[in-house]
Amino acid sequence: MSNTLSTDFANVLGESAVGKSSIVHRFVKDSFTDSRESTIGAAFLTQTIQIDTNTTVKFEIWDTAGQERYRSLASMYYRNAQAALVVFDITQELSLDKAKYWIKELQKQANSDIVIALVGNKLDLEEERKISKDEAQAFANELGLMYAEVSAKTGENVKDCFRDIALKLPLEEKLSQQGQRRRRTVDLNQRPSTNEQQCAC
Amino acid sequence: MSATVESSIKPSMAERRPSMAERRPSVQTGRRPSVIPHLAGIEDPVLPTIPDQCDVLICGTGLVESILAAALAWQGSNVLHVDSNPYYGDTSSTLTIEQIKAWCASVNRNTPGFQGFSKALLYIPRPDQLNSRDYSIDLTPRIMFVKSDLLSLLIKSRVYRYLEFQSISNFHTFENDSFGKMSSSKEEIFTDQSLSLATKRQLMKFMKFVLESESAQIAKDLEHYKSTPFTEFIKEKYKLTPAQINELCYTLGLSPTPNILTIEGVSRIRRYLSSFDVYGTFPVLYSKFGGPGELSQGFCRSAAVAGATYKLDSQLQSYDSNNKIATFTDGSKVKVTERLVCSPSQAPENAQNVPEKKYEVTRLITIVKKSCKEWFFEGESAAVVVFPPETLPSNNVYPVQVIIMGSGSGCCPQGQCIWYLSTVEKGEKARRDLEEALSKLEESILRESEDSGFDVELTDEDVVSRPDGSISVINSVKLGKSFKEFVPQEKLTYLFKLMFTQYTSVEPFGVVNENVFKKTLKEGTENSVDYQVLYSNMPSAEISYDGIVTEAKLLYSTIVGSDDDFFDVDFEDDEEDTLARNDSAIVDDDDEFKDEMDFEL
Repeated sequence: MSNTLSTDFANVLGESAVGKSSIVHRFVKDSFTDSRESTIGAAFLTQTIQIDTNTTVKFEIWDTAGQERYRSLASMYYRNAQAALVVFDITQELSLDKAKYWIKELQKQANSDIVIALVGNKLDLEEERKISKDEAQAFANELGLMYAEVSAKTGENVKDCFRDIALKLPLEEKLSQQGQRRRRTVDLNQRPSTNEQQCAC
Repeated sequence: MSATVESSIKPSMAERRPSMAERRPSVQTGRRPSVIPHLAGIEDPVLPTIPDQCDVLICGTGLVESILAAALAWQGSNVLHVDSNPYYGDTSSTLTIEQIKAWCASVNRNTPGFQGFSKALLYIPRPDQLNSRDYSIDLTPRIMFVKSDLLSLLIKSRVYRYLEFQSISNFHTFENDSFGKMSSSKEEIFTDQSLSLATKRQLMKFMKFVLESESAQIAKDLEHYKSTPFTEFIKEKYKLTPAQINELCYTLGLSPTPNILTIEGVSRIRRYLSSFDVYGTFPVLYSKFGGPGELSQGFCRSAAVAGATYKLDSQLQSYDSNNKIATFTDGSKVKVTERLVCSPSQAPENAQNVPEKKYEVTRLITIVKKSCKEWFFEGESAAVVVFPPETLPSNNVYPVQVIIMGSGSGCCPQGQCIWYLSTVEKGEKARRDLEEALSKLEESILRESEDSGFDVELTDEDVVSRPDGSISVINSVKLGKSFKEFVPQEKLTYLFKLMFTQYTSVEPFGVVNENVFKKTLKEGTENSVDYQVLYSNMPSAEISYDGIVTEAKLLYSTIVGSDDDFFDVDFEDDEEDTLARNDSAIVDDDDEFKDEMDFEL
């Protein structure tokens, strides 16, 4: 069996200063080199993880580019997403409430089959914890979300969190759908196949 | 289509701020470190209100304004970009059904933020059958020629990476109550049985002429015909039939009016022909999931990446040009050090300097319960249909242009299709022309479609006795035409119908005139809420994207002084060089299908 490679768009959402970028840094930078400056133009990061011998999942993680600051994220950002991490800070009492806003937005704007993970960050600051694991877990269960606690600082659980998301993605269903849909898109990465002199006549 | 901008005020390099490209660490240090794009959030604390100062404030996130915002942000300007709506796109939005409902209500109430539109009529017979979010409806749908300034800009700016593009090969012309497909390539002309040899020769001659029309000699020849109408020119010189002239002028040229001069006509047909065979055997692309609205979002994202600040739900209330302070309706204020740009639709209440909008575009958008795949080229999901002048019972003076978007475009569910009709005719006459074109489309699809109501479960009533006594089940075979006419025809199911009029200061052929911008600044009414506000234009009637980049560039040079560094960004990417050069740019998920598509001519 050949490997199946699928590209999945993932969103990382949450209020400022909860550590969204640190989580992405940790996930992408730790073991992958595709963090070249050249991606500035497009502003998304990619990381590939292998979930079993036949399957690798390539995550394409979109930078919010600051557009979340005034809650002005474009609908395009949601539409592409197959998975989303809604991040809150376990040391900030109000940050779980704020995560609810992003979950609501995702339910309003993203695909109905999107995999959403509620992620409590700053596990390294256990002694300053204000939101108990039970409380957050119960909240996640209520809404049918995955739940994980990570530390972007130490790297604890970050990779596992993304792996768990990858395992939850409906890959087989997606692949068969793609086959049926016979999507025909024009790849602008390919330079034009003929030069300017040749044309229709 | 592009106008050159000559400006007397060119700032010296010293006066220019360093662009994003120049400020990049790799330029300063000479090496390329591994830098992860900044992910806003942890580095920047949330501000309670909008920033208190910016270089350029742009109100309205339409496509022109979004390209402008991105160009300015990459050039190094500190841009604040706002929109009065809770979504991106302004006059070029791509909306869901619920958003359309709200939009209509706002247009008919004449709410600030929706100016430039009027008389919106919306009909949704079975609201419970429509899942709002399954639809992406463009207020100003457009198609993109492969050889166009916008496509070049999308590639250069990398904004294309946020989008998906699909092709359109089929351009239909309505003539004598039916649709014909134009023979628009060398191969098609050669193989078209309906054309005489003499006609073939004339058509080929004309196409050769058009493609060489940029050469000095032919350009000189064309001078002769400077004031000759294009239709007259091709009739006299190439002896083509009225039907062929219609096809050339209105279908290939997509001319929105019959008043088209030879030079314009030739350049429009060149646009079509030279776009052919660049990425494949089609001249036109469109972006999946919605047109200008999606592109706007892409450029806004690009602007945000370059540091622009975004805030939706913010309506401009007034601008104090002496102190350069813009005030929003929520009371917040921002100091604008350079320029305030505003879309006419989002002008403040009591604005007095909005440019006059004397041209109209009337649009009719319908969603029908039919795939309409009969109109699409194999493997595609969209087509263009044109009703040339005087082809409708209403004796239309102007053509009716139609963009057909099937479910494969990502804009509606399977088994449905969106039809976008538009005309530059005015008032009630425009609405009549559109209604008639609509009923012709309806007749045509009912006649042509094989899936017209026969995909239901069989009942006793589906069995028909033939005159000879034999019994035939009507959906057991592909029916002959006469038999189809015998079976009572099912009416087409309309799920959605929207008509509205849009106003613009861009004339039907026009490329935006620089003077429009100069005028608003020089001759504005003083002591008004919008004195010294630089207004952009409402979208033109043009159904391609041509003219958009030109307008963004004109606004840019009005602000910066020249357009020398308009998107002067080099991403230094080596990724593209490593990509294998395939013969075809078509990407298919299905290999078997790929073989079908990779035909060679």
